[in-house]
Amino acid sequence: MSIPRVLNQKNRILLKELTKTDFKLRYQGSVLGYLWALLRPLLMFVVLYIVFGYFLRFNDGTPHFSLYLLTGIVLWSFFTECTGQGIQAMVMRGDLIRKISFPKWVVVVSSTGTALINLGINLIVVVVFALLNGIMPSWSWLLVPFSIVELYALALGISFLFGAINVKYRDISSIWDVLIQAMFYAVPIIYPISMVMGISESAAKVLLLNPIAQAIQDVRYNLITDQTVTTWGLVGEGIFVLKFIPISLVVVILIWGALYFRRKSKFFAEEV
Amino acid sequence: MRRTVGRRVVYNDDNNPIAIKVVNLHKDFRLPTEKAWGLKQAFFNRLKGVKGFKTQKVLNGLDFEIEKGEFVGIVGRNGSGKSTLLKVLSGIYVPQKGAIEINGNLVPFIELGVGFNPDLTGRENIYMNGALLGFSNAEMDKMYPKIVKFAELEDFMDQKLKNYSSGMQVRLAFSIAIRAKGDILILDEVLAVGDAEFQQKCNDYFRSLHGNQTVILVTHNMENVEEFCDRAILLEKGKVTMDGDPKKVAEAYKKLWD
Repeated sequence: MSIPRVLNQKNRILLKELTKTDFKLRYQGSVLGYLWALLRPLLMFVVLYIVFGYFLRFNDGTPHFSLYLLTGIVLWSFFTECTGQGIQAMVMRGDLIRKISFPKWVVVVSSTGTALINLGINLIVVVVFALLNGIMPSWSWLLVPFSIVELYALALGISFLFGAINVKYRDISSIWDVLIQAMFYAVPIIYPISMVMGISESAAKVLLLNPIAQAIQDVRYNLITDQTVTTWGLVGEGIFVLKFIPISLVVVILIWGALYFRRKSKFFAEEV
Repeated sequence: MRRTVGRRVVYNDDNNPIAIKVVNLHKDFRLPTEKAWGLKQAFFNRLKGVKGFKTQKVLNGLDFEIEKGEFVGIVGRNGSGKSTLLKVLSGIYVPQKGAIEINGNLVPFIELGVGFNPDLTGRENIYMNGALLGFSNAEMDKMYPKIVKFAELEDFMDQKLKNYSSGMQVRLAFSIAIRAKGDILILDEVLAVGDAEFQQKCNDYFRSLHGNQTVILVTHNMENVEEFCDRAILLEKGKVTMDGDPKKVAEAYKKLWD
């Protein structure tokens, strides 16, 4: 299936309209409304900073630890929101799927739209925060979008794969909730990876094979400081190909998820 | 276990007078037996060798052809497979065995108000529903005043749909639906809409379609079948038991309960 056929005018209209509706409905009936998109990660940041930055002293000599933390939280929230919405998308839009014939992937992609918009706004906050921290804009900032595309591709792949299974076995979304909570601690968000390296360098290397960790570290590297330990810098000294494990994982999951989704989507209308 | 999949093709041939051809169409449903939802149950079912679902035959070898410009009624009791047939025709369900050939462009709507959301305003719902019918924003902008006027809901467009009466909702849905353009129109029980005056408008609309458009109409209203249809098909237990003159089919339908 070629790109122009997949993204034909009809699908584009539908994608836009579904995204718009999702976005409008998300914060309807709340007083602060859209402000919540900003407040949620910021409040989480404040809590985590007080606990891990101020009291537990997790900063381990990292320069700009608060900015480090904020960047991590913003990207992590984006990833959890994308996958959470994406996996549930088919079930949430069951009424549509049962009644009208249209490409199902449109629903999954549109469900991540709000998360993308939220990320955009939160990144502005991150940049403002960075400037206030005395970080000068540099050309390396232009590399940040690549990491975000990678993170988004992973989230989409997982949404397609688990979303398709979730149509029949609704346990998947609960399993994913638990998994993502566990994964929060496996990704260097509240602690700098240097802390892990101090205890076991091989453990740090394993953690950095996770595409989410790799993407977050890369954003920190390009945005905040080139002191950041990245997958590229730490992993695969002897075996060069190891450096490509995270990105390969993303590609494999995205392709596998999309193919699986396409094969199963024929039966969604009957099963949802 | 893989399910078999029949054939559904959509093509465009102006010289072929056939609009829809259905050959030996079968469709089964797998109905989950005693809580087959969930991983745990799926696991235990596999252990015990229980399939976890019951197969129900809904369409059982249908054959018919519809010519271009025909207005065909499909009638039958509840559970005879009418709605399933429409869903297979429109591509929502995949056929299991047999083939469907569709010549032309099918209007993709089955029921009224698909995608309507109670928390959106009337206006927003019109645009959402229009997108599902494949209209761009520009096209919708052009149609919008006509839709609102036909629905007679000028004063309510900025109110949320949940504050509409059910009659108003259906009127709005119907007014958008009739804007849909395509070679073949599929309608499921949409005639019973609104009050007497609005009903009159709907009937005028159906009369205007007659002879100009290929229409498949599923209904329980035999007056409508006799008035609008050129031909009617009676379904019983997923099979075509009668196909022909609407009056005779309507009579046969009424006799189903005798």
